[in-house]
Amino acid sequence: MSLTDADLVARVLLDDDHHAFSELVRRHQSAVRGLLRQLTRTDAALADDLAQEAFLKAFKNIHSFRGEAKFSTWLYRIAYNCFREEARKRKELVGIDEARLEAEQDPQTVDPALRQDLMHALSLLPLHERTAVLLCCQNGLSHDEAARVLDIPLGTVKTNVLRGREKLKKTLAVWEND
Amino acid sequence: MTEPMDEQLENDWLDLRLREEAPYLDDAGFTARVMHQLPARRQSHAQRNAIMVAVTLLACVVAYFASGGGAFIGNSAAFLVAMPIWTVCALAGFSGLLVMVLGTAAAVKTARPPRRR
Repeated sequence: MSLTDADLVARVLLDDDHHAFSELVRRHQSAVRGLLRQLTRTDAALADDLAQEAFLKAFKNIHSFRGEAKFSTWLYRIAYNCFREEARKRKELVGIDEARLEAEQDPQTVDPALRQDLMHALSLLPLHERTAVLLCCQNGLSHDEAARVLDIPLGTVKTNVLRGREKLKKTLAVWEND
Repeated sequence: MTEPMDEQLENDWLDLRLREEAPYLDDAGFTARVMHQLPARRQSHAQRNAIMVAVTLLACVVAYFASGGGAFIGNSAAFLVAMPIWTVCALAGFSGLLVMVLGTAAAVKTARPPRRR
């Protein structure tokens, strides 16, 4: 019988069990790295560095995990904060990012493959909408969980997901009918 | 009725595509790199408990022999018996109160602040 995340966290807390923590890393590394890759616009090296930092922070602060939310939700929040810190350091704050993206936006862009179109459409979304869509639609978090991760009101998450979805659907309309 | 249905189908289609675009990323040594950077493992609780018990037992043995075979226990018992009953009651009450205050202080100190909403 495999242990739940909560069991593994309890082992880390009680006995500083590194083996239990490595199991947690193994379970969640793909989702965390995947999310960060999308947020950093597929900069895999940077995303992996941030993911590593996120897991180290999680280990150091694991005593502050109270089990009110899922471990993955707590982890996403740390990863998202790492990403934001890095964005601040690189002076790629959300406002600047969005302005650049809006200037780049070209709804007529047609890529041969759906995958490329989807990635492109995602990268065109403003950061707050992209993050909300990735968390809720791709990673399967509920709106409430996403609100915890992003530390924003539930209503804002719902709005961001709705707007993000609408924009994606608009950009990908040509594929949807196929 | 058709519109919400279409909307739902569109959402489902989009969510499915997005999930397909999140393939499982192979670990490729990522976990090992994270584990390598963790701070050194501290002693386990079981080890610490064993050390505490061993040290306590050793201290008891040393105290027993240092006090002349535990004569102080008998002396203390005799002293306690010779005390007036109200003094014994007061002593017990004071001890209980002291433990309660210390326990409350420890509980307050370790309590976490309420979570910000």
